Parts: sequence; structure tokens; C-alpha cells
Amino acid sequence: MQHSHHAKAKLFESVSAGIHLIPDFRKEVSCKLSSGRQTLLVYLIIGLVIGFGLGYFVPGLIPEPQSDLVARIQARGTLIVGTEAGYPPFEMYNTTTQEYYGFDIDIAQLIADDLGVTLVVEDMAFDTLVAACKAGTVDLIIAAMFLTSDRAKELAFSVPYYTANEVMVVNASNPLEIDELADLAGYDVGVQTGTVEHDEVQDAINGGAAIILHTYASVAQMFIDLNSGVLDAVYVDEPVYDVYAELYTLRTIYKVEAPPMVAYCRWANPDLLAVIDGAITDAISDGTMATLVETWFG
Amino acid sequence: MPSLIAFILAAGLPATLLLTAAGLGLGFIIGLGLALIRVYAEEDIAVLAQAYENVFRGIPVLVLMLLFLVSTGWPALFSAGLALGLRSGAYQSQIVRGAILSVSDTQVIAAYSLGMNRMQTARHIVLPQAFRLALPGWSNEYAVVTKDTAWAGAIGVLDMVKAVDYLIFENPLIFLPAILAVTIIYFFLTYPITRYAGEQMSKRLRSLGLGGNY
Repeated sequence: MQHSHHAKAKLFESVSAGIHLIPDFRKEVSCKLSSGRQTLLVYLIIGLVIGFGLGYFVPGLIPEPQSDLVARIQARGTLIVGTEAGYPPFEMYNTTTQEYYGFDIDIAQLIADDLGVTLVVEDMAFDTLVAACKAGTVDLIIAAMFLTSDRAKELAFSVPYYTANEVMVVNASNPLEIDELADLAGYDVGVQTGTVEHDEVQDAINGGAAIILHTYASVAQMFIDLNSGVLDAVYVDEPVYDVYAELYTLRTIYKVEAPPMVAYCRWANPDLLAVIDGAITDAISDGTMATLVETWFG
Repeated sequence: MPSLIAFILAAGLPATLLLTAAGLGLGFIIGLGLALIRVYAEEDIAVLAQAYENVFRGIPVLVLMLLFLVSTGWPALFSAGLALGLRSGAYQSQIVRGAILSVSDTQVIAAYSLGMNRMQTARHIVLPQAFRLALPGWSNEYAVVTKDTAWAGAIGVLDMVKAVDYLIFENPLIFLPAILAVTIIYFFLTYPITRYAGEQMSKRLRSLGLGGNY
């Protein structure tokens, strides 16, 4: 009796010990190396991986050397231009031929012809263009961008290639009239994100006018909302208004001259800037620019 | 409608499929690695895997794509694929880890008692079953990644949603039919796979006795 009691006790002990083992058994059955050595080995491997990773990526973050970009573009055979499609008549996308076309695209083509390379258009959101050019995703920006001091701090700018007006657009049936931006207090105004118009309305708001600002990534959506009545007014460049005035019944109530439009590239690449300036000044002097303006702006 | 669908497919489908494949493929490699680390490695190392998961489950895909696009000089398609892959890796590690942990303990104890060490048990007993158990979760992840490729349109990749964007720009009246067309296309991309891999496989697993106890 005592003997079997003792055996039962031992059995009970080993079973209860086993039960404690079960939740941790995956880590109990260890590999050949001791725990400390294992950790050290893994830390070493992680350190190597991080080291190699940093060594691979960090040189890429160093800005490119000067006077190299044009040679690299010609070696690569393509000029990558950043723009924001969907902004008539400057840059648009033809879904039938699946190509980009527009005033800015033609100017970019002139620059590419001067370099003797093919043109590749990268389309992205307007407010990411400046950052993308600084990072090197695109070589230059031609996107109907006005010359502003903020942008000039980030990127180098070319000679102006076009000057437009900014207009405030309302539906033709709207009797609203304004003398200045602050008169729009209490109205829903639409602008495209990152544009000079956006900054101007934001300044008016900061100056005390209670304008209800709506920002859009695309002008098409903005005009749809203006037409349906969601917005009271839209602040855009005049050439854009000319295009959309054909689709909807609109009128302008305010006009101001905009800063000139320029192309942008990085400050570290004066060689590319020289090519861009050369292409634009040549186009202005030999009449190509006049033809383009005639074609796209009527 | 048919010509709309044809244009959207022709213009946008290649990029969508490429991004889905890149996202799932990269995600699988990362997810498998992270899951194995979290289950089998030391506490200190497993914490690193958990940190990765917390970071990439907490950042929206669009923010990640924009981060890669504007802070490094990588082209848009590569940025989008990388962002999708990193995010998917974080979620797939949870799927694989859950599947590994749901292989019953008794099988593993039996394997150890037969004399197999940890690596052999993992290779021959646990992982084959875990991959089967992970299939419903993977089919869900496939659907999520396919739909997340739509974010790439915001950084300029010509995928299906961007193609619709261009169509709408050319002709604003085509807005509703174009949106319906792309909805139908996405539905046909996701439903067959989730139906087959998800529900059918769950039924098969149950008939094989691997469906869990309930």
C-alpha cells in the first residue's frame, strides 16, 4: 500500500512537472548553441544586415555631383518630366492613343529634342511634384507651375515660358460679385491643392475672412462640384477656365495676373537648367512659342 | 460599357496585377520570416519582429507610398510595390504565426518524443500543416492587397483606378458608368479567389480534421 502510494506520488509529481513543461516546450527543447551564444549570433547577423543595408542606401541619398545630369540623361536615353495630368490645356491624357498631350508636354518635347532623348512623362499629384523633383524621381517639372519664392527656395527655375491670369469662376446663374478675395466670406470656394490660388485664399482666411475652403486633387472634380452646387466659386488659372467654359455655363467675377509659369529642376543641376533655358528662349525667338500658344489657347 | 471595361483593363490591369504580385510576394517572404522569428526565436529577437509589425500595421498604405516616392528617388511603380509588400508582410506574419500556433501541441510533443529536434519538427510536422491552415487568411490578404493597389493611382502609377480618373477627365459624364465598370472588374478579381481558397479550402480542412475544434 505504502509502495503504491509512493509510486502514485512520483507519478503525480512527474505529470504535474510535465504539465508545467507543456506551455513552454517549444523554447525548452533548445538548439545546440547556448542561449547567450544564440542571442549574440543573431545580433551579429542583424548588425551585418543593417550595416549592408545602410551602406547600400546611404550613398544614394548623397546629392548628385554637378554637371553630371545631362550626360546621365543622354546615356539613359530618356528625359523624365514630372507633371500632373488632367490640367487642360497644359497637360492631358488621351485615353484613345494612351499618350500625354498638351502645351507643357510640347515644351517638354522641345527640351527632349534639344538633348536628343525620348520624353517620359511621370504623372503624380500636384503637391508631390516639388518633393519628387528634389528627391530625384523626376529630372524636371513642367506643370503650369507659377514662380513663387517658396518653390524657388527648393528648386531652380527656368526663364518664364507663359504668363496667365488667375480667375474666380462661378456658375453663370450666380449673381455674386466681388472686389477682392475677402468678399467671399461665408462662401464655399474650391482650389487645387498646392497651387498659388490655394495659398492666396489661405492668406485671405488667415487675414480674417471666413471663407469656406475646399481643396481638390483634380480640377475636373472641382468643376463637377461647382456645376452641381456644392461649391459657390472656384479659383483657377484662366486657360483652365477657358476649357471648362465649353463644358459648363460659367462666368468669371475676379481676375488678377498670376506670376509667370516656369519649369523647375534641382539647384544641383545647372547644366540641365541651361538646356531648359536655351530651349525656351529659342522657342520664343524663332516663333515656335507663338505657334504653341495659338494652338493650345486659341 | 464593354468598351469602357476593355479600356480600363487594357490601360490599368498590368500595373494592378504587377503590384498585387509584388505586394503578396514580398509580403510572403517578410511575413514568413517574421512569423518564424516570433514563434521560434529568443525573446529579445522576437521583440524586433513585433516592432516591425507594429510600425507597418500602423501606417496607412498611401502615406508609406508617398514616403518612398518623395523622400527617395525611386520611381512610382517601385515605391508602390515596396510599400504594399512591407505592409502586407506585417499582416501576413500574423496569419502565418496564428496558423503555426494552431497546429495542435500534441503533435509537436509526439514529434519530440520520437527524437526529432525543433527544426525537423518545424519542417516536417508544423509548417506543412500551418500553410494549409493559413490559406483562408491568405485569401483574405490577397483581396486586401488587390484593393490596396488602388492607392498607387495617387502617386501616378497607371492602374485601373487611375485609368478611370483619366476617362472621367476626358468626359465628365462618364463618371458613373466608369466607376461601375471598375467595381465589376475588382469584384471579378477578388471573388473567385476568396471563394475558392477561402471557403472551399475551409470546407476541405474541416473534412480533413484540420479545421479546429468547435
